[in-house]
Amino acid sequence: MNYLQVHRAGIASSVQDSGRTGALHMGIPPSGAMDRCALLSGQHQLGHQQDEAAIEMAYADFVASPTETCRIVVTGAPVYVSIDQDEAQSGQTLTVGAGQTVTIKATAEGVYSYLHVSGGIITPPALNSRSTSPREGIGGLNGSYLQDGDTLPLGSNQAEADLGDPMLHVPAPAEILWLRFVAGFQYDEFADAAIKQLLAEEFTVTAKANRMGVTLSGEKLQSGLTTLLSEATCFGAIQVPPDGHPIILLNDRQTVGGYPKPGAVIASDCLRLAQCRPGQRVRFAICSPDEADRINWLEQHYLETRLREVV
Amino acid sequence: MQFEVGPAGESAMRLAYAESPHPALTRGLLAIQQEAERRFNGALTDAVVGYTTLTLFFSPASLERDRVESWLREQAEGISSLGSDLHEHEEPAVVLPVFYHHSVAPDLEWLADNKGLSIDDVITAHSQTTYFAYATGFAPGFCYLGSLPDELATPRLATPRARVPAGTVAIADSQTAVYPCDSPGGWRLIGACPKALFNLSDVPPSVLSVGMGVRFEPINEADFRSMAQGAS
Repeated sequence: MNYLQVHRAGIASSVQDSGRTGALHMGIPPSGAMDRCALLSGQHQLGHQQDEAAIEMAYADFVASPTETCRIVVTGAPVYVSIDQDEAQSGQTLTVGAGQTVTIKATAEGVYSYLHVSGGIITPPALNSRSTSPREGIGGLNGSYLQDGDTLPLGSNQAEADLGDPMLHVPAPAEILWLRFVAGFQYDEFADAAIKQLLAEEFTVTAKANRMGVTLSGEKLQSGLTTLLSEATCFGAIQVPPDGHPIILLNDRQTVGGYPKPGAVIASDCLRLAQCRPGQRVRFAICSPDEADRINWLEQHYLETRLREVV
Repeated sequence: MQFEVGPAGESAMRLAYAESPHPALTRGLLAIQQEAERRFNGALTDAVVGYTTLTLFFSPASLERDRVESWLREQAEGISSLGSDLHEHEEPAVVLPVFYHHSVAPDLEWLADNKGLSIDDVITAHSQTTYFAYATGFAPGFCYLGSLPDELATPRLATPRARVPAGTVAIADSQTAVYPCDSPGGWRLIGACPKALFNLSDVPPSVLSVGMGVRFEPINEADFRSMAQGAS
């Protein structure tokens, strides 16, 4: 059997596929790759058809070697890639010989990058997904972020595809990233002033950003509401705790919460937000549910077209 | 009963009642949840009951949002008219053994002192109430159980503990719960349950779920040790 030996894991590397559905009612979040497009790109390029898991790394600082020759592709936030001492390209399928060392290092752009290995990472699935939910200790390798010295089992190299880059990259955000959100939850109960502020002010991505969510700073939002009885959260929910700094809930969010929420950012903009570094300026805009559907439809259509046409 | 139905983001629909939490309301929400799973089958990706809410998760590409919304509204009206019927079908409570002792419960003595009760009074008050599971969340299999007898109601810690061991029985405000796995926690710790409450390889993985009745039964140290050994 082929293994990937992790020499240096970096700050937050974990095994991720597209995440799990149907476990929210047990208190288990969906988890899954923060950058779905990057995950799909890599799976496509290696000919993976079964939602094969990759290694997600935040601010990559990753070094590993396979025990047998395999093919890899690195996707997501731009990174420096080398195989032994030789520079290599992300977004291209590469061959790594047995015992050769792959080094992946972050550039100044983006957050989440992915190392895909042919055959996929085959740690045991939990609730139909290999995605790691570190807080819950579920999925991935022993439910944890990867550590230096970990050994990851790899699937067999049956897929012989070597397809081109479908170019699904999330472009670096403009000076201001617009977060479109569907109003809901306590929107009607929020203080008018807080909604006006939310829609008029600029916010900044803080360093309190991880797989659970992204905390924004800006003028404090006074919702006028106290903590509520716990209810289901959702992907992109804008949670406003008493300190007035909104948190956008993402893949590893808690499944229920009691903080007031004026709505939820659409999935497409959450993906862009997840790849933002601290300091990124953002603004909010309301988006009708129908408009959110149109955006999703177009993006899905684009994605499927690219995946079909790039061979 | 007053309620509202509206989107929770682009991929979920939320029913919320303007009511105080009550077992009859929760049973109503559970009935709608089950009906939704039958009605929409695979198109529904998840359904989560909160204290006074039900949130249905789906992909708008496979299920029309308007259809879910109007269906949910109809169901909610139906439940509203059921009223007292829902009070009746009480199931027997799940009984969880608890070792109430300072060696496993750092806040037990503090609680007794703070409330002017003996430790035995605290144990009696906590174990003679039948609780109701209102919501699951925070951690896998973590059930919010209510309501604690008034004489035990206590605010949570200002600063949560970094690690609360699995099995610890805790209280906060008018709620009680058992931590199913090691996790940080801000609740007051008053006992330990030797029974494993969450195991992914069990079907279902969680011993407790929303809508269940739960009672705690005091056990001695010898029983606690032998049951804890059997569970691990």
